[in-house]
Amino acid sequence: MIDPAWVSGLSAILFIIGLLGVFTRKNAIIVLMCIELMLNAANMQFAAAAIHHGDATGWVYALFAIAIAASEVAIGLAIFLAVYGKHETITLDDINVLSN
Amino acid sequence: MSGSSSSQIVDSSMAEYAPLIILLPLLAMPVILFLGKIFNTNPTWKNTLKEGGIIALAAMGGALFISLVIIKDYIGSFSNNGDIFSLTWLNTAIWEGGSSVTSIHFGFGIYIDHITVMLLFVAAFLCFLINIFAIGYMNTDPINEDRNHRFYAEFVLFCAGMLGMVLSDSFLWLFIFWEIMGLCSYLLIGFYYERPSASSAAKKAFMTTRIGDVFLMIGLVMLWDLFGSLDYSVVFDTANIAAVNPGSLQLALGMMFVGAVGKSAQFPLHVWLPDAMEGPTPVSALIHAATMVNAGLYLVARMFPFFGAESMSGELVDLAFIIASIGGITAVMAAGIAFVQDDLKKVLAYSTMSQLGYIFTGLGAALWLANSLDYHDPVAQTIVVVAFGAALFHLFNHAMAKGMLFMASGSVIHEIHHAHHHLHPDDHGDDDDFDAQSMENMGGLASKMPLTATAMLVGSASIMGLPLIGGFWSKEGIIANAWRVALEDPRFFFPAACVLVGAGMTGFYMSRMWLKTFAGKPSNEVAAHVGPTNNWIKTPLFILTFVTLSSILLAGMGFAHWAPDSEYSFLSEKGLVEGIMYELGHAFANHDTFFFILTYIAIALGAILGPFMAMSLFGGKLEDGEECKPWFRPVIRLNNWVYDKYHWDNSGIATSGLAIALQNRLYIDKYYDLAMVKIVAGFSNKAAEVDTKIIDGTIKQIEDKSQKISTTVRSLTTGSARDYILWVAIGTLLIFFFIWGVA
Amino acid sequence: MQDLISMPLVGFPIIASLIIMGTVSNLSEEVREKLVNPIRWAILLFSLGLLGLTTAMFYNYFGDLNGFEGIAFNNYEFTKRYSWVDSLGIYWSVGLDALSFPMVWLTTLLLPITIIATWDEKNGAFYHPLILFMGGALIGVFVALDLFMFYVFWELTLIPMFFLILKWGGADRKYAAQKFFIYTFTASVVMLLGLVTLYFLQNPLEPLAYAGSLTGRTFDIPELVNYAQNANMNGNWFLGASMQKIIFAMLMLGFLVKLPAVPFHTWLPDAHVEAPTGGSMLLAGVMLKMGAYGMFRLPIALFPHALEYFQLVLMAIGMVSLVWGSIVCLGQTNLKKMVAYSSVSHMGVICIGIATMQPIGWAAALFMMFAHGIISPHLFAVCGAFKHHYHSMEIGDMRGMAKHSPWLATSMMFAWMASLGLPLLAGFVAELMVLIALWHFLVAEGWSVLWMVGPALTIVVTAAFYLWSMQRTIFEGGDETQPPTSMDGHPIPDIANHEKLAMFVLAMFTILFGVMPWIVLDMMNDWTVQIFEGLIMPILGNFSGGV
Repeated sequence: MIDPAWVSGLSAILFIIGLLGVFTRKNAIIVLMCIELMLNAANMQFAAAAIHHGDATGWVYALFAIAIAASEVAIGLAIFLAVYGKHETITLDDINVLSN
Repeated sequence: MSGSSSSQIVDSSMAEYAPLIILLPLLAMPVILFLGKIFNTNPTWKNTLKEGGIIALAAMGGALFISLVIIKDYIGSFSNNGDIFSLTWLNTAIWEGGSSVTSIHFGFGIYIDHITVMLLFVAAFLCFLINIFAIGYMNTDPINEDRNHRFYAEFVLFCAGMLGMVLSDSFLWLFIFWEIMGLCSYLLIGFYYERPSASSAAKKAFMTTRIGDVFLMIGLVMLWDLFGSLDYSVVFDTANIAAVNPGSLQLALGMMFVGAVGKSAQFPLHVWLPDAMEGPTPVSALIHAATMVNAGLYLVARMFPFFGAESMSGELVDLAFIIASIGGITAVMAAGIAFVQDDLKKVLAYSTMSQLGYIFTGLGAALWLANSLDYHDPVAQTIVVVAFGAALFHLFNHAMAKGMLFMASGSVIHEIHHAHHHLHPDDHGDDDDFDAQSMENMGGLASKMPLTATAMLVGSASIMGLPLIGGFWSKEGIIANAWRVALEDPRFFFPAACVLVGAGMTGFYMSRMWLKTFAGKPSNEVAAHVGPTNNWIKTPLFILTFVTLSSILLAGMGFAHWAPDSEYSFLSEKGLVEGIMYELGHAFANHDTFFFILTYIAIALGAILGPFMAMSLFGGKLEDGEECKPWFRPVIRLNNWVYDKYHWDNSGIATSGLAIALQNRLYIDKYYDLAMVKIVAGFSNKAAEVDTKIIDGTIKQIEDKSQKISTTVRSLTTGSARDYILWVAIGTLLIFFFIWGVA
Repeated sequence: MQDLISMPLVGFPIIASLIIMGTVSNLSEEVREKLVNPIRWAILLFSLGLLGLTTAMFYNYFGDLNGFEGIAFNNYEFTKRYSWVDSLGIYWSVGLDALSFPMVWLTTLLLPITIIATWDEKNGAFYHPLILFMGGALIGVFVALDLFMFYVFWELTLIPMFFLILKWGGADRKYAAQKFFIYTFTASVVMLLGLVTLYFLQNPLEPLAYAGSLTGRTFDIPELVNYAQNANMNGNWFLGASMQKIIFAMLMLGFLVKLPAVPFHTWLPDAHVEAPTGGSMLLAGVMLKMGAYGMFRLPIALFPHALEYFQLVLMAIGMVSLVWGSIVCLGQTNLKKMVAYSSVSHMGVICIGIATMQPIGWAAALFMMFAHGIISPHLFAVCGAFKHHYHSMEIGDMRGMAKHSPWLATSMMFAWMASLGLPLLAGFVAELMVLIALWHFLVAEGWSVLWMVGPALTIVVTAAFYLWSMQRTIFEGGDETQPPTSMDGHPIPDIANHEKLAMFVLAMFTILFGVMPWIVLDMMNDWTVQIFEGLIMPILGNFSGGV
């Protein structure tokens, strides 16, 4: 088996990449993908922890996370569809109706 | 509320009705006001009830009747002075440290003693007579039509105030009624409120007396603090006086005196009285000659027990000196200004000021004597009583004479007005150039208005101090006593000299007034057209002429020996005839050489030199073919003779700097106005500005700053989802740090 | 005995007015117009009923044990207590004592008079219920004997006033309403802080009566006063010296802003100038007195040591208010603003009275609260009449109006004279007593007598601006008079009958309490003597005031 430490490291790198993507990307779909990336990174971390401690709780957490991520993506895409229908764009910078 | 009646001190069945003296006029006021409002323009109201004049007259008549009965009873018994009754008005408490509060109360009651009786008579009698005059004066002048009910309501309220002040048993109620009178004075001076001059004059009167009143109020507060009460029965008690610090008492009395200065129009708070002539003549007669201006004198007279108390012996002489000096200054100053007045009422106003100064000097001298001499020594007691009595008697004489003079002047003005209206029916209102009050428009009226001229002659004689008439008895007394004190206290030379010089000056300006109005030829067709006046006006003039002429009887009855202490009674010691002989001897054949000479000097100045100077400048023979009453003929003949022989050109003096200064009232008014307008108004405008800009400005600054902060914080809401995500992330990190500590 | 206070005096006005306003707002314009008359008659009759109720209470008609005859400190009549939030110790506790009863009676007197004076106000279907609401809230403040309830009603009074100014006010009403609300609200929040601190400093392990079941602390005022009285004895300071001073200062800030005292007074002129007549009458007549009432009820009863400590400050604030208020008056050209500043000046008298720490001074302050509450609605009714009939309140813009409006002129003169302290009218007694208290205090404590210059100056300046304003409006003008430019040549009316009635009634009461002050003064005097004997003297010992 791989050393869980490597998995943790990879998960950290992927998380940071995802975080930076959320902060910097303009397109809403890309931001969603980056969030997915962060979630997957977290899942990986759970898996690594499960292997490291030999505790099945980690796998359970990972399963939950996958399910919730899936539903969250569904809702997010539905919101983006509605926003697109209103504003003809999903570039985050252009959707600032709530600004002062 | 508790009420308690002290035992009947005055032996009189009428004493129980004493409150009615105040209540009758007081209740008449709303009656007149409301009936007037409802029935205005109704013919019965106008003609029979004289727009409320008859109701007022009934009230004043009732008050006069009760007053006379009480006075008669009091004089008859001359028993102890004191409270007739008293009720509690205010209950409160004060804490002096220690374990309990001291309760204090203020009461209302009626107090009758010698001083009360003198002023009660003056007030009630003159209120009644001037009411009669007012009916004849106000109701026959079309300018007053349909608003006389207001006049009578205010008039009657004033009378209630005056009578209340005279009868009340504590300094508190003296002050309360004092203020009521001030209010009525304001209302009545500003009766013709649509005239800016009248409205300003009313304001000036109120403000000037208000300044005096502030000092009076503080003086009362000080007095209260010294005695724990303001009731006469407590405050005049010798044991209580002995327990008080003399310096503090002098200060308190001094403050109260300033109030008297304001109310009695003495220097430096005199500026309101000449302007007060804007009011209708009955107002001038009653308020500014006969009653309200006597309030200040009454207040000072009431201070007598303090000066007479043994424990205060010698401590209060400074105050007595100040009182006398203010009186002296005013006497001379006002007389001087009266020299150059052309307005008939203004001459009388300044004359009032001057004569009140006389009375203050007299009171000052009397109080000095009371304070310096041992009151229990019979010789000293006589001296003090004579001094005090002279001052009070002069108050009496002056009130009677001045009231009569004002009424007479009102009569003249009234008839001149009518004559003018007759000749020039198109000239209406008071915008025309014809000044009915100016003596320039008069002359030779002795043949046309005999009763008025007589009244004025007698009144002037009384004021001048012509021997045997009216003021002579009291004036000599004042001059004599002022000099008596001057012999002991050199400072008193100043007021003493003032009153002596003033006697001459009085002689001059009063004669000038009479001669310009009644002697000589009429100065224009209006004066030639004047006729006699109506009966309402004539009646009080007639009555008062007799009162003034009969002052010799009053002097004989001991009116000049009117002491605030009942131990002494002149009348009970001598009979009437003996009293008259005593007075005559005292006046003309005084034992003391100094006073003998003094009397004759005063007579020379006042009765000979002054009128002589006036006769040489003014008056002259009547119009050819004019007949006048027999008693005028010697006067006119003398005037004519002096005029022909000794007439001299006074245009040099009349246009000199002094004359112009006097015409401008010595510029005192101007400086007061300047101070008021520039300083006070300027300061308050600045204050208003500061309030808006700085105090409110601070609040506005806070408003602005908070708006700015709010705007700044609001700029964080960019509406951009990315910014919000950034904040979420930062927030989460911070939470982690706080929960798990800085890693 | 039945609860005479909660429902009739407090509950019903508030609830009824809310119901009326709620119903009316759903109706159409025409129906609303038709309903105005029945509504205002109903409210007038109801408020007259309230007046009858409070007068009957005064004359002990309801046979309560002591009535107001046997007045004792911290003893209340007509008390009733209902549990509200039991766990926190909040009760609906009402009661009257000699401090609050004159104020309650005054409020019930002013309600019908305000309604009569402003009978024809526009939007009457909302206006008159709002006035009633105001009355109920004001009475609630005075009868509250629980801190929480006190604060609730304190803030509740701000709401109807805010709406009155906003909906019926003058040109600059938005600014004025906001300023009034936020300014006084901020001060009240500081006061709330003080109250809450007071609450939390109680020891839950030794709970007082009516303490909350959860917190062990109470909001009950009589309990707290009783406890404080004992805790303050023997030179101890209730809650400790520094804490007592802090809480005292916080509470006083709230009350001083309400009073208003210089320098926290600037909300008042704006509020008054923009407020409608009825709003001004109630604001000046009763609302300002809430500040003084609160001072007596809370900081003075609970923290007498702190009062002694801050005596100089309080005296200075009072003196400055007195003098500054009157001097600024002289520089005003707006009639209503001038009257507003004169209110500031009169409230300064109350401050001075309290600061002297003498029974006569406190009785004077109480009487001034009462007398001013009768006189200043009269003043503002006159101003309102100017606004209503002449459309102008500028002094100097008109002359000789007495010729056209004799009733208004007479009313104005009467009210003006009453306000400057003419004897035999209600204001004089208070002035005189404060002067005596002040002088006695100065002499006894050895302070400089120059402190007397302030009141002396104020008396003269007050007379000056009142006379000057009369001269520039109703007098002069010659025979043609000089109508204000806002009339544009229209004929000039006199005041309407309802205004005459309201002003006349106020004038009669002014005379009544001027000539017979003992009607309420006896009660007030008894109370102040009681509070002195029960509270001040045992606690402050052989002390007669002063730093």
